[in-house]
Amino acid sequence: MPVFSLVLGFLSAAPLFLAVGVNPILAYRQVLGVFLNVDGLTESFTRGIPLLLASVGLCLPFKMNFWNIGAEGQLFMGAFGATAMVFLLPDSSAFVLLGSMIIAGFIFGGLFGLIPGYLKARLETNEVLTTLMLNFVAILWVDYLVYGPWRDPEGFGFPLTPMFPPNARLPWIPGTRIHTGLIVGLVCAGLVYVFLARTKWGYELKVTGESRLAAKYAGIDYLKLTLLVMFISGGLAGLAGMGLVSGIVLRLRHGISPGYGFSAIIIAWLARLNPLAVVPVSILFGGLLVAGDALQIGLGLAFATTSVFQALILLFVVGAEVLTRYKVALTWE
Amino acid sequence: MNGIVKRFPGVVANDHVDFELRAGEVHGLLGENGAGKTTLMNVLYGIHRPDEGEIYIRGEKVSIGSPREAINLGIGMVHQHFKLVEPHTVLENILLGLKEPAFILNLKHAADKVLEISKRYELPIDPRARIWQLSMGERQRVEILKALYRGANILVLDEPTSVLTPPETKELFRFIAQMASEGRSVVFITHKLDEVVAASDRVTVLRAGRNVDTLPRDQLEKTKLASMMVGREVLFTLRKSPVVAGEPVLELNQVTVMGDKGFPAVKNLTLTIRKGEILGVAGIAGNGQRELTEAITGMRPILSGQVRLSGKEIDRESISRRIEEGIAYVPEDRVGVAAPQGLTVAQDLVLRRYREKPFSNGVFLNQREIEGNAETLVREFKIMVSGKDATARTLSGGNLQKLILARELSGKPKLIIAVYPTRGLDVGATEYVRSLLLRQREAGTALLMVSEDLDEILSLSDTIAVMYGGEVVGTFPTSEANVEEIGLMMGGSLRKN
Repeated sequence: MPVFSLVLGFLSAAPLFLAVGVNPILAYRQVLGVFLNVDGLTESFTRGIPLLLASVGLCLPFKMNFWNIGAEGQLFMGAFGATAMVFLLPDSSAFVLLGSMIIAGFIFGGLFGLIPGYLKARLETNEVLTTLMLNFVAILWVDYLVYGPWRDPEGFGFPLTPMFPPNARLPWIPGTRIHTGLIVGLVCAGLVYVFLARTKWGYELKVTGESRLAAKYAGIDYLKLTLLVMFISGGLAGLAGMGLVSGIVLRLRHGISPGYGFSAIIIAWLARLNPLAVVPVSILFGGLLVAGDALQIGLGLAFATTSVFQALILLFVVGAEVLTRYKVALTWE
Repeated sequence: MNGIVKRFPGVVANDHVDFELRAGEVHGLLGENGAGKTTLMNVLYGIHRPDEGEIYIRGEKVSIGSPREAINLGIGMVHQHFKLVEPHTVLENILLGLKEPAFILNLKHAADKVLEISKRYELPIDPRARIWQLSMGERQRVEILKALYRGANILVLDEPTSVLTPPETKELFRFIAQMASEGRSVVFITHKLDEVVAASDRVTVLRAGRNVDTLPRDQLEKTKLASMMVGREVLFTLRKSPVVAGEPVLELNQVTVMGDKGFPAVKNLTLTIRKGEILGVAGIAGNGQRELTEAITGMRPILSGQVRLSGKEIDRESISRRIEEGIAYVPEDRVGVAAPQGLTVAQDLVLRRYREKPFSNGVFLNQREIEGNAETLVREFKIMVSGKDATARTLSGGNLQKLILARELSGKPKLIIAVYPTRGLDVGATEYVRSLLLRQREAGTALLMVSEDLDEILSLSDTIAVMYGGEVVGTFPTSEANVEEIGLMMGGSLRKN
């Protein structure tokens, strides 16, 4: 079924490619090429890492019907926290510096996630609105820093911090050019899976997702559970931000994430909130992003065109996801 | 309907059921919860497609694929849980889904037609009222009008009296008789014997998805119908052994509780329940009973006063602490509160106990212990489940209540708070639930039971407290109870403290 929907998605994009004067067959070859060579795969994994971390984090609040739309903001706060460590401890060993960047990334993202959690549990504010609006707070806070106090004096006025020292860069996984954030992501996916399936908090999440009143009846403390879940969820998004500054961009700059925190929402649902299923979905999603780049570079397509192509593929995959829940019945009247 | 078979995963809800409805007849469809009554009627109304069997309407073989096709054949159905859009008006609900107003709604014309029907059948309603403003009885009237507006000749009422007060029930029976006298037919699904005997021309009894028999009016007899329904003799009176009440378990002193509307729902209430005592709280729903039980279990904070359990003040303690202290709670809402529907039976059976050893070590849950617990309780309480991983959603009403009781009693409670413990249950399940509560009393547990059913209160309680307007307007031992007086107290015209 997923293969079928992918094929449909590809076919539906054919008129688009024809309209911009590109042979669809060439375009398809370009896209498939991403998954068939080492560079393309490496890049897919690299793009998949922030998606993986943020998405695994989202599985938790979504299970209890807490709609955290704020992974993007939590990611930016994590990137900010990690960068702050570089400014604070520039001369530490790689072990100390990277360790404190990871911890700071998690904590900053987590604390930022606590705000909407507390507001919802105590004041019944709508978390969709608060998490969504806080994204802008975080993104603009980072903008303030990179346009202002943290701007690289030798950066020709571009909104970015100085390049990180080598000690603040995540090493590559031996034998590849994928940074070690992937390992962190896989470990987190495993831990969250165990958290959901085996611990009492996982059970509490399930009950709360069924009905808040039932959770209250069971003696579950909604405030505590929400804060715990949003701290972990925000923290994992924060780790994604840490991985971006420390593993890929190697500095903090304007627009550090092109919306990974939002794509993570789609991924979490496609994976049916199963953290293990998030792993392959994130990497495929990363591949789709790389395919967009490949089309731009290889065939000179515009960014807008490739975005439409990506959206079509997603539309078919998400649509098929929903349709698989129906039974097909042919009747003769 | 001939030889209807409908299978659901794990169960055969209808196993070759035959059903015949004559013009101008009120036909009672009787059976326990889960006997397949509603499934059979859902097949008729096009909600379910039968796996086998044939349906004939006025001699013509039909295949009903959707409720719309059923409506076109003149079939109307009022479900047990109403299908109304609450923020909309009565008129909008009646018109909803009709093709007739092709583009522009002629509300005036439609309102006139509704009022005409409502007048003819003496079902008064304000077409402009919004559904949320209406009582349950009025909402049912809207559902009936909706079916009549669509020209129903066959009206199916699924457990229509479960939401009605006694006078409303009487009014409904009058309407049913009027329908029948016009040559239309009414199917009346119920598990209440008195009503089926009072209102039906013929009765078909189903048990476990099969026909038992169809009886004409002159052969309707309560005890006979009951044993047909359950498949064995049913005792209508419970044997209650004398228990000497011991020391106080629950003491409320001058307790005031705020209601949802911002006014005190329970006012300065004082009461005591002792070991081995059942306190029956009588009263019309909405007089503070719910708020009282929620205050004791911790679901709702108290404004002033004290709540003591075995002499220890508990009114500031969390719900989970109160569970540990031995308060069991069987709430009113089984589906939304007491047994979340998406959880498995095993998960629901530890809902309020998952923190305890051996189910949890503080971090991880012990799956094997949770499943073992489920196996034991399912066997002990005879809960019918299709499998180990079945969700609570697949259980019938009676089995769901058994599950809730099994869990609450398995914690060896000191105090049981039971709200409407047998509401909506069939004869067999009611008998079983009541005997469980009595057994707890013999074991020395204190019980607080809220019920609307005076017979239930009189047959189970040792002491009766009548609530009116958030206050206890009378407390007396059951031996001194006088039904007339209780009725007056419930209506607020008599006080006896």
